[in-house]
Amino acid sequence: MTCLPPLWRRAACALAALLAATPSQADDPAWHGVLRTYWQGGRAANAGPLAAADAAGLAISPPSTLNSEAQLQGALMLGGAQLRVEALARQRRRSGEDEQGRMQFNEAQLSGGSGPWQWTVGKKVLSWDVGQGFRPNDLVQQETRRSLLNLPLEGRSMLLGEYFSAERAWSLAAVNPTARRSATGGSEPALAARVYQRDGDADWHGFARLGAHTGASVGAAAAWVVNESLELHASARYLRHHDTLRHSADSPPLSASNPWLNQRQGSARQWLIGGSWTTAEQISLLLEAWRDDTAPSAADWRGWAARNAELSRYAAAGAPAMAVAGNQAWQAQMFPTSGNLRRDSLFARLSWTHDGWQPTLDALYHPQDGGLMLTAALSWQGDRLKLEAGLRRHAGPASALIRQLPQRSQAYAWLEWAY
Amino acid sequence: MTRTACLLALCAIAPAWGQDLDTLLRDADRYRMSADNLQVETLVQTYHASGELDKERRYTVFAQAGRQSLVLMQSPAEQGQKVLMLGDDFWLLMPNSQRPLRITPMQKLLGDASTGDIATLSWSGDYRAELVGEEPCQPNEAARQCLHLSLHATRKGVTYSRIELWLGKTRHEPVRADLYVQSDKLAKQARFTLDKARSTVTDMILTDQLNKQKETRVSYQSRKPRSIPDTWLNPMFLVRNPSLD
Repeated sequence: MTCLPPLWRRAACALAALLAATPSQADDPAWHGVLRTYWQGGRAANAGPLAAADAAGLAISPPSTLNSEAQLQGALMLGGAQLRVEALARQRRRSGEDEQGRMQFNEAQLSGGSGPWQWTVGKKVLSWDVGQGFRPNDLVQQETRRSLLNLPLEGRSMLLGEYFSAERAWSLAAVNPTARRSATGGSEPALAARVYQRDGDADWHGFARLGAHTGASVGAAAAWVVNESLELHASARYLRHHDTLRHSADSPPLSASNPWLNQRQGSARQWLIGGSWTTAEQISLLLEAWRDDTAPSAADWRGWAARNAELSRYAAAGAPAMAVAGNQAWQAQMFPTSGNLRRDSLFARLSWTHDGWQPTLDALYHPQDGGLMLTAALSWQGDRLKLEAGLRRHAGPASALIRQLPQRSQAYAWLEWAY
Repeated sequence: MTRTACLLALCAIAPAWGQDLDTLLRDADRYRMSADNLQVETLVQTYHASGELDKERRYTVFAQAGRQSLVLMQSPAEQGQKVLMLGDDFWLLMPNSQRPLRITPMQKLLGDASTGDIATLSWSGDYRAELVGEEPCQPNEAARQCLHLSLHATRKGVTYSRIELWLGKTRHEPVRADLYVQSDKLAKQARFTLDKARSTVTDMILTDQLNKQKETRVSYQSRKPRSIPDTWLNPMFLVRNPSLD
């Protein structure tokens, strides 16, 4: 182990500790793990309203990072119940910073049941809905979509009860039961329900959610295999209220504290339609279009741009550079880490699977301003080893919102070993 | 003259077999699907044209009556993946997403040995058989004669739309098959190996005709009768990662 680089050494130590904690299960095929290392870096945008703040060293554009991870997952029976655990040890080195390490349980749940009735208590990944680029009815997990890296998900705390028959499933979850009522997004305490019905070549889903402060929302989704090559899917949701970031009207032009506040807004609709087409040559094309009323409106973005222009005027007038840069950095909060930038989006993904190799090309397009996010990736999967590399480029007119993002391009390289 | 003689011979045997073609297919199925409900441990090894082992995958297949199958991927690279096949309907479950993905029959074809090759252990009920005639069991071996059947899919979800199948004349064991996809392109050729008692298929060797003559050996390492609960055939139940031992 001493010949390993420090990151791997620590990850291996953490993994060894995990295995030592489960001696009787380590050789069990129900227990398995992954060692992975990945690098992610990017080139900061050299123009746009946030470039100055980035140049001032306020780290709007994330620095390149090298991550090493050891992941172990498995299950063991405790009487009539099953304990399922997924543990992750991560060591992260950001350029110009010290190494950081952490261990977390992505899942730790106890589950059991009798016949068709099943229950789960603990931390669990629970992903709902159809679709790839956007999932309006992912009511519990609220997974980040279209992220550059396909990282393991971290589950939500929940109490889950389910009923299954051959063609139907009912689920009722109390999610984040111990969280603050004011928590937002996927951390908000909520009751979430789903009913699933299989109907020949179609799957039907009905959804309902009652958030602690966002209130009720209802939704429906379907996936339909039309013929041997074509699959179509659709999802729609109506929300009584939703959370969004708003600029505080009381804050001065050069604010000393973050002027962006989370506020509850009125009703919203979200929908998605899409389909995938796969040929015998293993070429697959996915097309999706969606609308998300919870994303900032065109007027919101105009206000954001006006504020950027105002900050630039302050800088030109001789206002303290760091104060301006700090306010510009707060402006970057309008770029959601998990939601949509624009209300209307189109998404396409082309992939080819051949002999363990999979090249993919995807594009996110905003019709309102012509912004384009292009991603190309190539992966290879062997018996245990997986290699992957990719590049993302933000393109379109200089005025497009995607071009205002702090980074102009991003790249990654990924190496994974399954055991 | 020779053609006339062959036609006459075919006319002579066709009525005899015609009414029994379904029985004949069921006989052939019994060499792979020895009971209505089975648990089959399967090893799939893929070889380069040079004969060098490329990769190895392990699967547990629950093949159930009524064209229902559940395939559990057991190799490290695929651990946690599942494919559920209920008649013509298919779902893929990936461990990272914890969400069943409805997939098309074409997506089921992905891979050297497609999930269909691994999970489908019978032809009767899925194909309409026509007797072509008696032919040498191997193209370059006239000594042993086989029954040549042409199978045409009667369901849209099957992996191959047409299969040319050669069965032993006496015991109706599968000997070899040519497998055609929807475009009527020859995708793979299969050879079947029996155990010493000649009662069970132990290996199916697939030669890929579309991909550099790659060879894939599907070994049926164990079979045991096993009926699984109805809930295991519900895709939403499977995302719970239940213990499926």
